[in-house]
Amino acid sequence: MDINTIKIEIDSISKNIIVEITGINSTQSLEELQLKYLGRKGKIAQLTGAIPTLPLPERGALGCQINALKNKVASLIEKKQKSITTKPPETAKFIYDIGLPAIVQELGQLHPITKIIDEICAIFNQMGFSVIEGPEIETEHNNFTGLNIPLEHPSREAFDTFYLKLASEPVNQLANEQANRQTGKLLLRSHTSPVQIRVMKSQEPPLAVIVPGRVYRPDAVDASHSFMFHQIEGFIVDENIRFSDLKGILEAFAKAIFGKDIKMRFRPHFFPFTEPSVEVDISCIICEPVSRLASEPVKGCKPANCPVCHGKRWLEILGSGMIHPNVFKNVGYDFKKYTGFAFGMGVERIAMLKYGINDIRLFFENDLRFLKQF
Amino acid sequence: MKFTYNWLKDFVDIKISPQMLADKLTMAGLEVTSLEEKEGDFVFEVEITSNRPDWLSVVGIAREVAAITGKKLASVPVCQLSSLSRQTGKPVNRLTLNIEDRKDCSLYTATIINDVKVGPSPDWLKKRLELIDCRSVNNIVDITNYVLFETGEPLHAFDLDKIVSLLASEPVNRLEIIVKRALKNEEIITIDGIKRILDENILIIASNINQQTGKPIALAGIMGGKDTEVTENTKNILLEAAIFSPILIRRARQKLALQSESAYRFERGIDSATVEKASSRAATLINELAGGNTVLIKSAGKTQVKRKTIILDVADVSRILGVNITMVKIKKILTGLDFKVCPVKNSKSLKKQLEVTVPSHRSDVNLSEDLIEEISRIFGYENIPVSLPKISLARNEICPKPNLYGTRGIISLVKNILVGLGLNEVITYSLIDKDLLRDFNINTETIEILNPLSKEQEILRPVILPSLTKTIAYNLNQKQESISIFEITKIFSKTQNQPKEELTLGIGLCGTRPLLLEQGLIKNEFSFLHLKGVLEVLFERLGIQEYDFNTESESSISVNICKEKIGLITNLSKEALEQAGIKNKKAWVSQISLEKIFKYVNLTKKFLSPPKYPGITRDISFILKTDIEINTVLKAMRESNFTLLRSIRIVDYYKGPQIPADYRSLTISCLYRSDERTLTEEEINPLHAEIRNILSGRFSAKIR
Repeated sequence: MDINTIKIEIDSISKNIIVEITGINSTQSLEELQLKYLGRKGKIAQLTGAIPTLPLPERGALGCQINALKNKVASLIEKKQKSITTKPPETAKFIYDIGLPAIVQELGQLHPITKIIDEICAIFNQMGFSVIEGPEIETEHNNFTGLNIPLEHPSREAFDTFYLKLASEPVNQLANEQANRQTGKLLLRSHTSPVQIRVMKSQEPPLAVIVPGRVYRPDAVDASHSFMFHQIEGFIVDENIRFSDLKGILEAFAKAIFGKDIKMRFRPHFFPFTEPSVEVDISCIICEPVSRLASEPVKGCKPANCPVCHGKRWLEILGSGMIHPNVFKNVGYDFKKYTGFAFGMGVERIAMLKYGINDIRLFFENDLRFLKQF
Repeated sequence: MKFTYNWLKDFVDIKISPQMLADKLTMAGLEVTSLEEKEGDFVFEVEITSNRPDWLSVVGIAREVAAITGKKLASVPVCQLSSLSRQTGKPVNRLTLNIEDRKDCSLYTATIINDVKVGPSPDWLKKRLELIDCRSVNNIVDITNYVLFETGEPLHAFDLDKIVSLLASEPVNRLEIIVKRALKNEEIITIDGIKRILDENILIIASNINQQTGKPIALAGIMGGKDTEVTENTKNILLEAAIFSPILIRRARQKLALQSESAYRFERGIDSATVEKASSRAATLINELAGGNTVLIKSAGKTQVKRKTIILDVADVSRILGVNITMVKIKKILTGLDFKVCPVKNSKSLKKQLEVTVPSHRSDVNLSEDLIEEISRIFGYENIPVSLPKISLARNEICPKPNLYGTRGIISLVKNILVGLGLNEVITYSLIDKDLLRDFNINTETIEILNPLSKEQEILRPVILPSLTKTIAYNLNQKQESISIFEITKIFSKTQNQPKEELTLGIGLCGTRPLLLEQGLIKNEFSFLHLKGVLEVLFERLGIQEYDFNTESESSISVNICKEKIGLITNLSKEALEQAGIKNKKAWVSQISLEKIFKYVNLTKKFLSPPKYPGITRDISFILKTDIEINTVLKAMRESNFTLLRSIRIVDYYKGPQIPADYRSLTISCLYRSDERTLTEEEINPLHAEIRNILSGRFSAKIR
């Protein structure tokens, strides 16, 4: 190419490009145009390639011209590019048919009892309690006598118990306590409290322990009784643990699980393994008008006909008390040095109150339509 | 127990409303479970804890009310019976009481009242008894019941002439009443008309005339005999008030399955101080309402018990309660509850101490902690402040971590992995019907329950499969199409008569997992491959690598980790399915011992940098006879031991019309890679040719 041809070519490119670019309205033809002019073997590259063949004095000026042309073409193409891509599509609208069912890997569910246990354990973990579990098969000592529950005493009425047929000799329910300890009569624990004995026998205070687990009692099954259910036991032992601490910890717990507006009531009760003993009530979460609780108060539900508290306005949620000195004696602790408190609650009861479940049997029927709600 | 507002007012001046009284009693530990206005009175029902037998009477509750409200307790009205009508010529004027064992009966009193007129009770008496659900019988029986509810001391009235006529044809003037153990197989017909067979663990009342001992006339402390019952023809009565051994009464009551108001109270313990008071109260009422003359009062056994004293360290009150209660207040509370309080003088220590004497009705108070409970109860739990424990973290770590805490974390992880795989957690009963095991062909020794309430609670389950099957069946009945469940629980076995608990995972799959795609609805039926998938993901996530599955039989696949069998996958047998009521369905269940898995779990992670050099993937598609297990093929390929062959994966398989009947089509993807360089085709070709040779040569695979 000589100088003239190059000059003519520069002119024609600068004219043609404007015409050509106007006629373009698709990305594809714009890409073709870009290739035609700016590609590796494109028209402008050809011009640039010819420069070394020119006489030296001409090279500078023409080089500048070609560069300007290149920039012009590039900017035109860029401009066009923007106008094409921002232009709304004029063809038929594309629709995501989002009404179709989603394709998912369905998740399963934890059992509501597991969820409540996890929630309760998490609350106590935050307060420094450790979780410990114990065996479901227990000795009479750990389940009863170690906890200051004499074997032949009316206080045992509350703890009807399943015994195991293990020893070959006939098991005489009325045999005296000493004999029972020797033969080592075994049973299914009727509460989680035996773990108190296990833990205290194995280590010294300070202790802050929470014990979730299954327990068994030969109760006829109905809407509020089950022969198997879950309990959570907790206890703290150290120097200077006081009744006021019991109130503080249990209040923190109840508010964490049922909401901070809950009202609480601590009233005297009797448990063989605590002295003083306490029963803890919360204001009825169904009919108590001031409550803004876990579950919404039911409209029009008056205390008198409340299906949950039956007009009492209070719901028992747990039993507690300062650990009885006899329990400390039984595990070899110095009861003049250490004090502590223990508490126990039924997990099903808490779950029933929290979720508004009215029949304990639902937990063990395992109807997927029930389980999937939690 | 029930009592009424007006009855209570006989003994204490109450200025507050019944509702307020109910609240106060509840907050003092005497829980009022219902309060009902009835016939111009208010009926309270209270739940009395087993440690407070002293509350099992109107007087006992009045005593508590007096303590709470700061009032005085009125005493039970009785006549002075010092001047007994001494009559002669009447039968039985010489009575002997014989207690065979003082341990069984510490006190026995008898009062003989002659010439009573048995008839209906006056209205006020009937009404009070009926308000508390006690049926009116006749004036004598009603009075014994009334006094029982009022004082808490059970009484029994015998027809004296009937006692005599059982042993003598003529009236006699000497009678002996004996408190003794029954003979083996001795019988009595109790007032309720039921014949009871007795034994030597049961305490009875018998009579003796002229060295001749008769049959039992009452089950001591539980119920009287029909033969000596007071009826409208009764003229002369013998009124019994006694204290019997709580354990004996409890055993007899359990043995005979016979509950009564008397037994209930004897079992919990009677205040010896009320026995004679109750007896004179009843005699007074009988004289008033049925006439008659009290001719004889006799007692045997000890009437006075030693009063307990407890030393109370005043500092312990605040040490245990976390609140300072003044000495004055402490004294006032205890005195109000009938305790006698005096300061301990000249005590060697500098501690402030009180010597507290316990009233006879408080058998439950034995330790200073018991006194502190009394103080806190009356002080009011609501008045104790709220605080948080000051556990010193610096002194020692709280509760050293027990190893179970670790497994709890793993269990929680396992549960979350399974939930992520779409499985729903279930909780089933640990007790099952033993017959269920038969359908599952399980013959292990099981732990039986001594006292099940029903057949469904016969044994502790040694396996989890029957419970899962039952849950699957239940949900099929609820028309659930896709059932995928798991449970983590303990199973129970015994070795050498020693029980063992083993933490176990059970998984059950049944039905289909529907998948709606653009190609249409795919109903993906659950198979053992789904279960395998669940377990593989679980093992991988737990850092367990050396696992494999082995076919054991048509219905059972073993699951192994490092060659140890840790569980199995089972295709439920037709019998087992039918037993559970499952028809035309297959169900897959798996039982894995978590206890065995724990030692293989490795949750520590270590970073591996991604491969530096690209690998080359070569696929081989072939058809293989269906009787050749793919496991053996993969194993043979792996045994080629080419270090450059990094992985062998099945990426496609198919069985259907385009493939000969006994064959299946498979595509295996082989990945070759080196850590030192980029591999070339020339390096791989001979290796891959060898792999192909293994397939075609050893397994007659037809490579496509």
